[in-house]
Amino acid sequence: MSQLGRFAVRGVFWREYLDWAVVNLPFYFYPVPLLFFTIFFFFFAAPARRAVVANLAVALPGSSRAMNYLRAFRTLYNFAWTISEAAIYKINKEEFSYEIIGAEWLDQLGAAPGAIVLTAHMGNYDLGAALFAEKFRREIRMVRAPESDPATAQHLSASLEKAGEGGVKIDYNTAGALLSFDLLKALRDGEIVSIQGDRVEGDVAQVTTRLFGNDVRLPNGPFVLSLVAAVPIFPLFIARAGHRSYQIIAGEPIRVLRGSGTREEEIAQGVARWCAVLEEIITDYWEQWFAFTPIFPAR
Amino acid sequence: MNSPSPHFYFSLLRLMAILRGGGATRAENNGAEAWIAGVAIYFISYLFFAQFVPADLKFWQTGLLLAGLAFLVWLFWLFALYLNSLIIEFLRLGGLFAKIPTRRAQSILLATTATAMSAQLLQRGGWTAEIAAIWLIAVAMNLAAAVILAFRNGAGRRD
Repeated sequence: MSQLGRFAVRGVFWREYLDWAVVNLPFYFYPVPLLFFTIFFFFFAAPARRAVVANLAVALPGSSRAMNYLRAFRTLYNFAWTISEAAIYKINKEEFSYEIIGAEWLDQLGAAPGAIVLTAHMGNYDLGAALFAEKFRREIRMVRAPESDPATAQHLSASLEKAGEGGVKIDYNTAGALLSFDLLKALRDGEIVSIQGDRVEGDVAQVTTRLFGNDVRLPNGPFVLSLVAAVPIFPLFIARAGHRSYQIIAGEPIRVLRGSGTREEEIAQGVARWCAVLEEIITDYWEQWFAFTPIFPAR
Repeated sequence: MNSPSPHFYFSLLRLMAILRGGGATRAENNGAEAWIAGVAIYFISYLFFAQFVPADLKFWQTGLLLAGLAFLVWLFWLFALYLNSLIIEFLRLGGLFAKIPTRRAQSILLATTATAMSAQLLQRGGWTAEIAAIWLIAVAMNLAAAVILAFRNGAGRRD
């Protein structure tokens, strides 16, 4: 990556600048500069903007293109707040308020001897992992899609591990089969593995399924792992509810069990249940669905 | 829900909270405070720079300049924050601002800058002077509240 690449939209410069800002900005100085940064990135992060517009067009049918551009702006503004507050938590150790929705499922997850947390690129998943590790005193392994800029990837990993205070470990899904075996071992050892299951990036195992009436390809790794390790999948989302305030939304666990059907059929059933959860959460929290790559086939 | 009762950052609001039977603990999680103070500082600085827009321009040129000014003011504050960070580092060498977080020291410098801009706007007169006067009164009341809180809490104790 060239020196100039540091300043690209996904370059490490912006992450480092955010860290600097969190140290330097009084808490009341965020709203207006974040608004202007959102305007800046709304124009300069054109692929991300277009992807959000395209994804929202499918998730919220019947809305006009102009309305979806406004929604894309709101999504980017939420993203700006989300990454800022994650950095505030990491660096300043400020307190955040949160409300738990689906407390019984979250308690089950906290007590589970090995489980998969399936989440989406939604809300503050980074902050959520740190909060979870702190609340339940459990180690959590986050599997992330690789960043295009290695320096950004390194910065993000270090940030997340710091925020989790040793409770969060980052893996990138680039290690192929080795990572799968590693995760399987972790699950069998009683660890919690967190995976983002709303899009595929890179050369990971995929499955074709239906989301909002469209064919999409989603990662099938979580479902294969669940089947092989015999552990449940807990849908979990962290939605921003206001200024330094979050909702932790836990869903009923999805169990992929060996039954009378074939392995593919069992996995397909699990994926279909996940898609139903995903459709519900995206419909309710579309403004926090940070899907910055196209999910659905081009129309 | 782990949400604590509402707390405030600014001394005036903390003093009012005490008078209403609440706590005086300083907190940085009040969204309303963040928006009001943030927009107020930005608005004061926008008015300050807007006075330098030449009066003899055509209507559309003035409109364009005022729209562009919003972004220039944003850039100004980004630069001011960086400059302030250098000033804070320098002052810390002399022992000043050594015991407070950088963002609190920045807060003092930002408020000082906005207050200086307000003082200048006040001298110009017109409706912008009214806005500037509101800012100056708010700052004065906040400083008075800070003094009362300091006496109330005793020397050396900080909430």
